[in-house]
Amino acid sequence: MIVVRAAGQELPELDGGVEVVDDEREGRGPLQRLAAGMQAIGDRASVAYVSSTDVPLLHPAFIQRIVGALGDDVDVVLPEIGGHPQALAAAYRTSLLSIVEELIDDDRLRPAFVFERCRVLRLGEEMLLDDPVLARLDPMLSSVSNLNEPADYQRARALPPPEVEIERFGTLAPRSGSRRETVRACTLGAAALAVGLTLDEHVVAALNGDQISRDSHLPLAAGDALAFLAADAGG
Amino acid sequence: MEESAPGGYFGKALIVDLDVGEGMAKPLSEKVLRSYIGGAGLGTWLMHECCPPRVDPLAAEAPLIFVFSPLVGTPLTTSAKFAVVAKSPLTGCLTDALASSHFAIAGKLTGHDAIVLRGAFARPGVLMIDGGSVSVAPAEDLWGLPAAEAERRLRERTGPAWRVAAIGPAGEHLVRYATISHDGRHAGRGGLGAVMGSKLCKAIMVRGREKVSSADAPAVLAAARELRERSFGPATAKYRELGTMANLLAFNAISTLPTRNFSAATFEGAPSLGAEEVAELRQVARSSCASCSIGCEHLYRGPGGKKTRMEYENVFALGPLCGVSDADAVIEASSRCDELGLDTISTGGTIAWAMECAEKGLLDAPWLRFGDGPALLRAIEMIGARDGLGDLLAEGSRLASRSVGQGSEAFAAQVKGLELPGYEPRTLQAMALGLAVNARGADHNRSGAYEADLSGAHDRLAGGEPHVAGAIETEDRAAIMDSLILCKFLRGVFTDPFADWALLLAKVTGWDVDAQELAATARRIVLAKRLFNLREGWTRAEDWLPERFLSESLELESGRTAELSADRLEAMISSYYRGRGLEQSGLPTAATLTLLDLELLAAGSLAQLDLELVGAGSGQIGVSEGD
Repeated sequence: MIVVRAAGQELPELDGGVEVVDDEREGRGPLQRLAAGMQAIGDRASVAYVSSTDVPLLHPAFIQRIVGALGDDVDVVLPEIGGHPQALAAAYRTSLLSIVEELIDDDRLRPAFVFERCRVLRLGEEMLLDDPVLARLDPMLSSVSNLNEPADYQRARALPPPEVEIERFGTLAPRSGSRRETVRACTLGAAALAVGLTLDEHVVAALNGDQISRDSHLPLAAGDALAFLAADAGG
Repeated sequence: MEESAPGGYFGKALIVDLDVGEGMAKPLSEKVLRSYIGGAGLGTWLMHECCPPRVDPLAAEAPLIFVFSPLVGTPLTTSAKFAVVAKSPLTGCLTDALASSHFAIAGKLTGHDAIVLRGAFARPGVLMIDGGSVSVAPAEDLWGLPAAEAERRLRERTGPAWRVAAIGPAGEHLVRYATISHDGRHAGRGGLGAVMGSKLCKAIMVRGREKVSSADAPAVLAAARELRERSFGPATAKYRELGTMANLLAFNAISTLPTRNFSAATFEGAPSLGAEEVAELRQVARSSCASCSIGCEHLYRGPGGKKTRMEYENVFALGPLCGVSDADAVIEASSRCDELGLDTISTGGTIAWAMECAEKGLLDAPWLRFGDGPALLRAIEMIGARDGLGDLLAEGSRLASRSVGQGSEAFAAQVKGLELPGYEPRTLQAMALGLAVNARGADHNRSGAYEADLSGAHDRLAGGEPHVAGAIETEDRAAIMDSLILCKFLRGVFTDPFADWALLLAKVTGWDVDAQELAATARRIVLAKRLFNLREGWTRAEDWLPERFLSESLELESGRTAELSADRLEAMISSYYRGRGLEQSGLPTAATLTLLDLELLAAGSLAQLDLELVGAGSGQIGVSEGD
């Protein structure tokens, strides 16, 4: 993951896997930041999902829906929600970098100018929600809700935590009853607490059968599946 | 020599010539003992000393070495362990299998830090070592019996003070992954039972008559009490409460459970084999090794009410790896492997390869299909007797795949000839490196790199520098635990492992050993094994994974694809070599040899390569054309 910031901008603490790059040319808008991000990617990836950083309800299923729609005959997948194209919630081929740089040099700084010069797949709300996974996990398409005012933030905080599925294994499982439970939790630590566990040197969790974590602040999204395991894995 | 031996040691090895049935003592200097400690480390040094270069592992002159350790006989929990070391008939490399039982204590109290068997009996025999005295008893009446039955009969004849390590029919038939058994435990990996069988030695019996003392006995007792308390804590809860079988469902949930010969990493039949399910229905007892306070053994009831000790590795190899989900069949298969004296991992790995061959029409065995429990049992019987197809499968998957050809080498899941344990390398990429480079071959006990993968500190699907560091660190830790020897299930209770272990060793031996010295000892032992393999013809190409892992990807439920490219593996291996002080050829640099005081061992190894040591201290590779 790459975060583009204004040169010298202070950022909150980010996960160790996040690369931070500076946008050296201030005041050039989203295209300049898009270019900086694409330059940082280089030849490491052919497609980038591009997002603003003020969308705390962004769900992985939304990203999968957008990126998954990018076929061979498309350069950009552009969601349109409420009639508005969401240029900062879209998937771009990184090969568009040269076009983006040309537009910046020509002072044509709106994303719409990019879309004029490439093949764009526009997905309206109905088409987005054709995907049953996204329809289940983010039916209101809150993934693109950006928070601009303190009140927006307070409203987001007041939302009920997402529902997540939990399974406990081995000695972490209850002696009787089901190993599986559904709980509401915003973070891994909260989910662990909800089933009476503490993340320590003996307990880890796998998120959606993938990465292992013992980071209690790890954010969760609706529909996430957590497997709690004994950290002592040998044998 | 005995008088001057450090605490915990006798300062000598017993060298037994089976050709004539006589033994002689070989002094072990304090420098050697301090440099290699005991168990796997001392066994490696003894192999350099006693094993003729390039020997056929099943030839009479190939040694088979039982090695004890300074902690054996102390009250320290889990210390009643020994190592069996030899040149593996499966890999052609050094193999060192550990086991726990009263054999360790009685063997050491014969007054020796190691027992080296050389030569061979003219007809089946039992070697008896009673203190310093050696004798031989005939074993024709025992030949063909399961090891446990032979052990029972021998102890009935001689009395309970005798302890027995024996082979089963698989060892007699020279199955290349046959085990040596004792007290229901097994020195399992690498075919040590075949080495013993090649010597027509059905069993080795030991009776202790000596005493060994620690340098500071009260301090050792206090440390033992404290360690015992810690062994009851959360770090060992998994082993105590459910045993290693608890891994099965957890590994299935994180796509790490090798299934159908590593063609998948999740198994739909896993729930019927998981400890959480099986324990309630079938578990009949818990048990523990000699001198152990953890008690990880979980006995399950199989068909006919027979009790069988089940571990994750048995269940993974004979269950998901062969596509078998019938718990009865898996328990029975495990029980038969124990009776025949077969390493369950290599047995399951080789049969899984054969099942895939049969399904692809590469082997004429239409009865052998994934998921077929009776076919699994039939194959095990054939291997134990080297009957029909079993004769091919008794060679292990590497040799068998070379014989079958037709591309089957690509899916023979082995490294250096040793079949992979139950850790999927594409979804555990630190472990992928550990499996590729370890001296014993694909192995989870000499390289616990999966700990780095499962720590949550790194992306386990994207192997890189942090994974290399994790692989080196866990390999070093294993080298010390396997030489002290302490059970690895205890590892979680040590907060500062090298310092904690140094303290224990210091109390037993009286040495002023510290964490830094033990860290260097670990690296010395790891490289001494590599040097032995070099001497025996190891090539860099053997530090690698089979093609399947590099050309086939796995889809995870998260939507991610687990891939391990050859480039990524190569980069990790290169980095591992740098971290270990090796040239990119895999040979140690002269500076490394000097630093770890390995020049003497290296000289013997390099001589076999027609190379000699040059430029020590220069940091350059220590080779030039020899005479």
